[in-house]
Amino acid sequence: MRALWIVLRKELLDAFRDRRMLLVAFVVIPLAIPLVLAGTNALSARKQTQQLEGPLELPVIGAERAPNLVAWLQSHNVKVLPAPKDVDAAVRTQERDVVLRIDEHYRDDWRAGRPASVEMIFDSSRPLASGATVSRLSGLLDGYGSTVGTLRLVARGIHPAVANPLQVGTRDVATPEARFDLSQQILPYLLLLLAFIGGMQLAIDATAGERERQSLEPLLATPVARESIISAKILATAVFSLLSIAVTLVAYRLAFVIVPSRGMDASFDLGPGGLVQLFLIILPIVLLGATVLTALAAFARSYREAQGYLPLLMFLPMIPSLVLMVAPVRTQLWMLAVPFLSQNQMIVRVLRSERIGALDWAVSLGASFAVVAVVWWIAARLYHREQLATSS
Amino acid sequence: MIRVEGLRKSFATRTGRVQAVDGVSFDAADGQITGLLGPNGAGKTTILRMLYTLMSPEAGRVLVDGLDAAIEPTRVRACLGVLPDARGIYKRLTARENIAYFGALQGLDDRLIAERTARLVSALDMRDFIDRRAEGFSQGQRTKTAIARALVHAPRNVLLDEPTNGLDVMTTRSLRNFLLEQRAEGRCVLLSSHIMQEVARLCDRIVVIAHGHVVADGTPDELRESTGCANLEDAFVQVIGSDEGLFA
Repeated sequence: MRALWIVLRKELLDAFRDRRMLLVAFVVIPLAIPLVLAGTNALSARKQTQQLEGPLELPVIGAERAPNLVAWLQSHNVKVLPAPKDVDAAVRTQERDVVLRIDEHYRDDWRAGRPASVEMIFDSSRPLASGATVSRLSGLLDGYGSTVGTLRLVARGIHPAVANPLQVGTRDVATPEARFDLSQQILPYLLLLLAFIGGMQLAIDATAGERERQSLEPLLATPVARESIISAKILATAVFSLLSIAVTLVAYRLAFVIVPSRGMDASFDLGPGGLVQLFLIILPIVLLGATVLTALAAFARSYREAQGYLPLLMFLPMIPSLVLMVAPVRTQLWMLAVPFLSQNQMIVRVLRSERIGALDWAVSLGASFAVVAVVWWIAARLYHREQLATSS
Repeated sequence: MIRVEGLRKSFATRTGRVQAVDGVSFDAADGQITGLLGPNGAGKTTILRMLYTLMSPEAGRVLVDGLDAAIEPTRVRACLGVLPDARGIYKRLTARENIAYFGALQGLDDRLIAERTARLVSALDMRDFIDRRAEGFSQGQRTKTAIARALVHAPRNVLLDEPTNGLDVMTTRSLRNFLLEQRAEGRCVLLSSHIMQEVARLCDRIVVIAHGHVVADGTPDELRESTGCANLEDAFVQVIGSDEGLFA
């Protein structure tokens, strides 16, 4: 234990004197990630506001056939434009979100009291880009139709309620914290990725780098057990990444203060309790990352070879997010036993301010720490190989 | 006191197995400097690596102060001070911190580390750079730091792999005097070298290694006598069978 503490202290001292490593861990990552996220959030909020409240630019084919409809739309913040030559192409290339076509027989049908046709032309494969505009126009057209319909019923002496046998109301049970937004989708992945490979530089440096700089052999010639050496290097990596994550989380919170985005920062309105929970959730992943990286650095023949495995490791924390994106499922207990999937679900729950039961905690932490123990055992075996210190 | 009995070790290479050490036996006594002399690739580094338990022999055994290295590797390493072939030091630590780190790993307390460091600093003439960070050290400064950290726990047995490699004349001289002091203190000093003059000048006993075998073992006088050569140089050439790589 004493040797473990000595090695741990030395590795941290060494790391904190490495300016480049400090710069990346405590300046670049904490600045870049929150700014990108907050920036994207602000952008998407602005776009949403524009789509919902700004003037709706609407090319209309055959506007002259329905002057009343056009006038009504214009009075509801719609800017009516002449139709482009090739309507389909204009929609497909996203030059226009939606185009309205008024049927040639609109005037005759309207006068005769028959349903008059209008057509909305849009591209349903781009729901994020044009969905809000399309549903806004659809709502406006519905509104016009039902207003005129009501008037016609009244003119014939019929109570308008006759045509509305059903009244549909909605009630949204989502808490403000649980509202869907971008950061809630990205934050779990981001946290897991940072936790998993945030300590990569230190881990690779402490084993592959130490060997390349020829100081591993003298270290192994001391009486210290290799298990102590490897545990200390893993813990040093874990401590370093936890610090980096803490700084990043604080910066993330600040970024949403600096870049205000209405209603978007609700998901990170975490108190100290929530932050502690987040830390506890990602702790096994931090240790898992540190252990996997150290095992890799012991396995690889060189620093460069060890770095070559990193893209593969970056992909691991993405898998559960991808699975959940493609096939969203309700949380089940077995999922909490799968590293990454478990943490992903737990982080989302904390962000949604949901209570996490004792059993869930036990399964998530227990299973993840068990995986850490297995990888630690593999790493320790790798540290006992003769080639560890001598192949370089 | 180091005793080596019938050590064997081979390595797998692309072209097949290479027998690096093939039945090596010798003793290195306390209060003596023993030299392992042999051309590059003779197996000297592999022998030393088995002594400090970095590698395990396929056959034979290593006894350090009576302890079997295969059975009690941790206690054996505690009896040894090792300057390996790889002598990298931590560039972001000062020379003093490098030494203190190894002192702590050997179980020494801070007061003892400070005391021993002070003694090593004066013996190895390290005053000029002891509190500088090791980044940019010359090879001589690096080697001195590596030797100091290897010996900070005052081990009874000192193993040095090519200690004078890359050192200038002045540094070599001070290192030589330092090793003579170690001998005078009754320690067992075992060093490897491919430089005949150095071994001839410094060692009480010479073990000549070639192609993984011990080809000669004795005092310089005994070597001269057994080969019938008047000078050591001719004696070495005769026992090794060639003069390849033996001259600095």
